[in-house]
Amino acid sequence: MKNTKKLLAVLLAAMMCIAFAACQNTDNGDVTPPADTTAPETTAPVADTAAPEQSADPEPAGITVTDMMGREVTLDAPASKVVALSAGECEIVYALGAGELVVGRGEYCDYPAEVFDVASVKSGSETNIEEIVALEPDVLITSAMDQDQDVIAKIEEAGIKVVECYAQDIEGVYTSIALIGKVIGRDSEAESLIAQMKEGFEQIAANKVEGEKTVYFEVSPLQWGLWTAGKGTFMDEIATMMGLTNCFSDVEGWGEISQEQVIERNPDYIVTISMYYGEGPTPVEEILGREGWGELTAVKNNAVLNLANNELSRPAPRLLDGAKALYDFVTAE
Amino acid sequence: MNGTQEGFRAYEYILFAAAAILTAVICVCLGSVNVPLKSTAEIFRRAILGLDMPKELPASIILTVRLPRVLCVALTGASLSLCGAAMQGLLKNPLADGSTLGVSSGASLGAVIAIAFGISFPSLPFAGTMVMAILFAFISLLIILGLAYRLDFSLSTNTIILIGVIYSMFVSSAMSVIITFASNKLKQITFWTMGSLNGSTYANALALAAAFAIFGGILFIKARELNAFAVGEDNARNIGVDVKRTKLTVLICVSALIGVCVSIGGTIAFVGLVTPHAARFIAGPNHKRLLSASAFAGAIFLMLCDLAARTLLSPLELPIGVVTSLIGAVAFIIIFYRARGKSRGA
Repeated sequence: MKNTKKLLAVLLAAMMCIAFAACQNTDNGDVTPPADTTAPETTAPVADTAAPEQSADPEPAGITVTDMMGREVTLDAPASKVVALSAGECEIVYALGAGELVVGRGEYCDYPAEVFDVASVKSGSETNIEEIVALEPDVLITSAMDQDQDVIAKIEEAGIKVVECYAQDIEGVYTSIALIGKVIGRDSEAESLIAQMKEGFEQIAANKVEGEKTVYFEVSPLQWGLWTAGKGTFMDEIATMMGLTNCFSDVEGWGEISQEQVIERNPDYIVTISMYYGEGPTPVEEILGREGWGELTAVKNNAVLNLANNELSRPAPRLLDGAKALYDFVTAE
Repeated sequence: MNGTQEGFRAYEYILFAAAAILTAVICVCLGSVNVPLKSTAEIFRRAILGLDMPKELPASIILTVRLPRVLCVALTGASLSLCGAAMQGLLKNPLADGSTLGVSSGASLGAVIAIAFGISFPSLPFAGTMVMAILFAFISLLIILGLAYRLDFSLSTNTIILIGVIYSMFVSSAMSVIITFASNKLKQITFWTMGSLNGSTYANALALAAAFAIFGGILFIKARELNAFAVGEDNARNIGVDVKRTKLTVLICVSALIGVCVSIGGTIAFVGLVTPHAARFIAGPNHKRLLSASAFAGAIFLMLCDLAARTLLSPLELPIGVVTSLIGAVAFIIIFYRARGKSRGA
């Protein structure tokens, strides 16, 4: 247990480093494909889907995409059976109106509610290849952050195409959406979803919150040690976009911070992403009732918002919902 | 041994207490947020005299965040170290401690079960985890020692450590199973197992102080019996110690103390292992002195570890267990080799 705990801490730290370190890897343009490109030139025309007329094949050409890890993936046709392993990517598939294609989901995919009708498979470090193969999907869509690359290679050996997303900022989410849209043959839906998100975010960015207001994002409540979202997270990006300053923008990614620092930095708003389990005080009540927090501007003004459904932590279209909720909250007065 | 004064002399108490208080003062004055010494002193002056606190003083940082935390850390350190010293004496085993024996793991299993299945008492929000932690600490101790006795009546170091490790592994898989069944509380459980004294309150400190006063007090009373055990269980029986009863009393006290500590601060490894050995260098092997010295040394050690955890990476915090384990692991190896060297030489 002791060792597990340490291992867990190290793993978590490593995960966070990978997940939120500098965003040099977000766009797929500059990533060179790995060496094992399995010689696709013999099987399919290398041409882009947009211009298949060059092809001599009478069949409709396959789809070739470069995923966000720079891997080239070729499909004979748009995928009709998909396993979505990570929560954010699963949400994108559903947001593209392609829920009926999903034959399996990672166990932590919990949005929208329809996903619960779909078979659940183990994900992350517990990914079970047999379980996935048994579902016979054409494509497995996952976030590169959640998956070990060796496991990905094994799944591909089993004959299942794997598309990896790696969205670390909102721009990256657009790339994910376009990529997934292409893979499942929902390009136009993807385009309109991206346009819709862009419009929403632009609206928020165009009407910035007045004054120099600060916000503190609480990822884990005091009882378990305070964790916040610093630079390089969606929360930081969204706050900055609407003209708020993240109190802990000096922290890289997610980090456990000292309670003293929250009091010292005295945020104007507090956003907690804790879930409420139906017992004891709600996350907002708990924060308002904390000893020593009474003098904080956010607590005095009752300016504590609970966004409990992972809106602000997943690389998915609902980031806009979260951003809107936060924006409405801070502009309500 | 002249037999006149076995326990601590008055000046020794004063010396140890002074060292502990000095450490506490340093730990209250230093922290993640830099509060000038003058303001800190002013805050305390006003708090003690009951004067109004001017707004510009960061009173809440010092009085409601830092002070209760330092108190909790000191009491946790004292309790864990005291438990370690008592267990080492009782089992005649230099490596006995809540974390090496698997008692802390057992306690966290209890707490995780309480979180996963929502066991709580309506009026006391944290009592559920605390009671379950104490209960499981005690059950774990019984299981581990029961198994060890069956394998090896002399309770040798190797057997105990082996069973402790096996038990810890068993507990960690049990926890994984529970997490699978209660995946909606995964986040809560994950954060809980990482442990934190970040949110310590006066209520926590009070609970720790009460546990320390009651169960620690009983351990102090049993110091003479522990001396007999340290020589050997047969020896204890021969000189008229009620072996069974003493053992049960000590085990209950140790489980209760570890359970309370774990339910408040999570598992903190190695404190109970390392500090009693350090204390032994200063106070010698007599438990009448050793227990007091261990408690003070544990408090000082953990307060300093916590200070490092709070300030090294400011504004980030390190889990305190990381700091104690870093120091503890090295000390553990040294102790282990010394113990082995001795037994081979004899």
